[in-house]
Amino acid sequence: MKFFVNRFVKNREVTVVIFLLILFSLVGLKNPAFVSPGNLMLTLKGSVMYIALAIGMAFVILTKEIDVSVGSILGMSAAVAATMLRNGSGLFSIIVVTLMVGIVSGLVNGIGVTKFKIPSIVMTLGTNGILRGLMFIYTGGKWVENLPDYFKQASQKSIFGNMNSFVFFTFIIMIIIHLYLTKARNGKYFAAVGDNLEGANLVGIKVNFMKILAFVLSGVFASIAGMVYVSQVGFVGNVAGNGAEMTAIASCVLGGVSLNGGVGSVLGATFGAIIMNSINTALVFLKVPAYWNNTISGLLLIVIVSSDALISRYLVNSAIKQRLSVKTESNGDGKKEEIGGEINEQI
Amino acid sequence: MAENELNEISLVYLDNIKKSFATNLVLKGVTLKLSPGEIVAIIGGNGAGKSTLMKILMGIYTPDSGNIYIDGEKSSLLSPSASLQKGIYYVPQEPMLFPNMTVEENVLIGMKGNRKALKHRLVELMKRLGWNISLSRTADTLSIAEQQLIEIVRGLLRDSKILILDEPTSSLTFKEIESLFKIMKDLREQGIGMFYITHRLTEVFEISTHVVLLRDGKITSSGPVVDFNKDMLIKGLLPEDIKSSIEKGGIDLGPSCDYTRESVLELEKLSGYGFKDVSFKLYPGEILGIAGVVGAGRTELAEAIFGIGEITSGKVLLNKEDITGCKTVDIVNKGLNYVPEDRHYNGIFSITDVVGNMTSCSLRNLSKFYTDFRKEREIANKYIQDFRIKVTGHDQLMKSLSGGNQQKVVIARMLATMPKVLVLDEPTRGIDAAARADVYKIIHELKNEGLAVLLISSDLEEIVELADRSLTMYNGIINGEFRKEHIDIDKLMAASFGVLDKGVV
Repeated sequence: MKFFVNRFVKNREVTVVIFLLILFSLVGLKNPAFVSPGNLMLTLKGSVMYIALAIGMAFVILTKEIDVSVGSILGMSAAVAATMLRNGSGLFSIIVVTLMVGIVSGLVNGIGVTKFKIPSIVMTLGTNGILRGLMFIYTGGKWVENLPDYFKQASQKSIFGNMNSFVFFTFIIMIIIHLYLTKARNGKYFAAVGDNLEGANLVGIKVNFMKILAFVLSGVFASIAGMVYVSQVGFVGNVAGNGAEMTAIASCVLGGVSLNGGVGSVLGATFGAIIMNSINTALVFLKVPAYWNNTISGLLLIVIVSSDALISRYLVNSAIKQRLSVKTESNGDGKKEEIGGEINEQI
Repeated sequence: MAENELNEISLVYLDNIKKSFATNLVLKGVTLKLSPGEIVAIIGGNGAGKSTLMKILMGIYTPDSGNIYIDGEKSSLLSPSASLQKGIYYVPQEPMLFPNMTVEENVLIGMKGNRKALKHRLVELMKRLGWNISLSRTADTLSIAEQQLIEIVRGLLRDSKILILDEPTSSLTFKEIESLFKIMKDLREQGIGMFYITHRLTEVFEISTHVVLLRDGKITSSGPVVDFNKDMLIKGLLPEDIKSSIEKGGIDLGPSCDYTRESVLELEKLSGYGFKDVSFKLYPGEILGIAGVVGAGRTELAEAIFGIGEITSGKVLLNKEDITGCKTVDIVNKGLNYVPEDRHYNGIFSITDVVGNMTSCSLRNLSKFYTDFRKEREIANKYIQDFRIKVTGHDQLMKSLSGGNQQKVVIARMLATMPKVLVLDEPTRGIDAAARADVYKIIHELKNEGLAVLLISSDLEEIVELADRSLTMYNGIINGEFRKEHIDIDKLMAASFGVLDKGVV
């Protein structure tokens, strides 16, 4: 039983899923339309972009860094992809060039943080500004519109009945990454770097390489999110992806990726992103005016994260107390046992 | 030519290694050899260059000049991963585990091969060692000693040919040290070479095959361990100025304690998590030792007295005043202070300067609103001189001091609050012989000034040398009390392991 409870609280993913279920059932009770299959799929579809951002962000936060440039990488990628689409470039070259935006931005971030020792919040804040500015220069401050239909329709395509193709592929990718991070030999390296930098160095992990890789992955996923944005929204305005970095960070934290590094999973980050997105839709269904959105999602974020922290701290403390108490309680005839134990061990 | 032949049979041959940091020449040309099956004890004071030398071997630093030969082959060790590939493994003094990972993950991380087979080998190894730590516990729930054991296991499981052990025994219990030594002997027979850094000279004779004395970045003498005796090692280590006081037969012990006076600290059947029904009285000018193995509940007791840990029943009286369950800040103001065991975790502000660290506990007395910087510096000067703390200046950062000097600063900080009772928890863990002698001298001076000292230590020699009276703690209860004339190592050890009947007063 104790094992179960511990396991349960340690696996933050489970807490998040339960919260997600409670959110959906409560809102569903108030307005059944919210839990209709159509709306659920719609909510998931709307989450895809944030899930992509949150997965990339999870890598960076696991290594105890932060990346606040993903919003601008998303915007820049979206602008590049949309412009190429409008100019009639081939799909393959569009994808390659767009991903390059993320890779290069991530490399710049990673090298700045590891080689030039710039704190990641400062470094990525810088690239965030640079990229947002470059995007203005690139688009001339104009919206990129009149995109070919095939790209816009891609986000509406369904496979396996009602399953949206983007949602499907997002989950496949997420599961592959999750398995890699938890099962593969190198999978734990990201968490190790964030958990204890010097310790990771000592067991032969190339810590700088892992950090750069995390930033590159974060950039790549922001670029993917940019393409998703183009496909789902159908045009690219100047504010595309503005503030998305905060949603991505909040999704990670909500999903149990610790800002102290070393703890968390992309699974949690994904559910975190779904919650962040669902809250907005849920408020619509509850007929709460839209300008409450940020306030309420901010409040919920604090409530969920702090209650979770309180519960796990309580459990850790009581486990320690129990271990210590057992020791003093065993004093009666414990003496003999101890001596016997020693002899046994010598044999 | 002769040198080349030497290289062929040696695991490691360090040839004239030099290294400096900024203008500070730390290694002044060190030549050192390690052959299969040797355990080379490296002994030296703080700042002698031991750690730097080992970090060069580990690929963390690159030498300014000199060559490194591994297996007779000239190698440039540019990163820890390169060193690991050469079969070198460093067990650091301060454990460097991943706090959020399980024991199993901590050991196996970065290792190639089948997970199941590796885990099987790990379980086998732990069994052979007789070390009982659950593989599924996360590292942040482990005690320092347990963490150290895991570090050692990590090195052993990697089939390293060259093991560097940096003070591995500084927080282990006797039993654990014994099993570690057994393993080291096993490994030696398998042809593994080990560098063994330690401050405990008795261990040198127990385990090592060769001795290297390092002072000021130079090897002052080296050779097979049979050519040395303890006095030679001590003389080789100590700076000139304290050598004489040691030769005079130790430090002046001062008057023994006056037990007719009122006690300053009294515990009445104090119970909490990890300790039960602890009662004792502490008198002014007395050094009361609490001996016991790691995990006996000593630190929990100290923390409870200091208002950090929880008290479930019983009373703590300071000068007849009940301070049970008071806030730490009130307890400090009433005249009790505590020097914690883990100075990195609980003790120091590493990125602040020495002065800031020393006065951080007494700032309230130094200022009404603005801090009186002159007074602050006066206090710092006094302690830097009294305690012979080696600093480049007031503004030297705490983290750049050696362990012994850091500990002196922490003690000075607690003394700056003018306490009547001082609780010291493992005051000499991981500091060198010279600094240890200084700390002992400081403790004696405090006693002579009438301060009551509660000395918690698992180093029994320390208790024997310092304490006027000693209690022993086992599984959270006080199971023995010894007056000065009855204190000896054997009795303390027996009581610490719970195999002695209630001691006589």
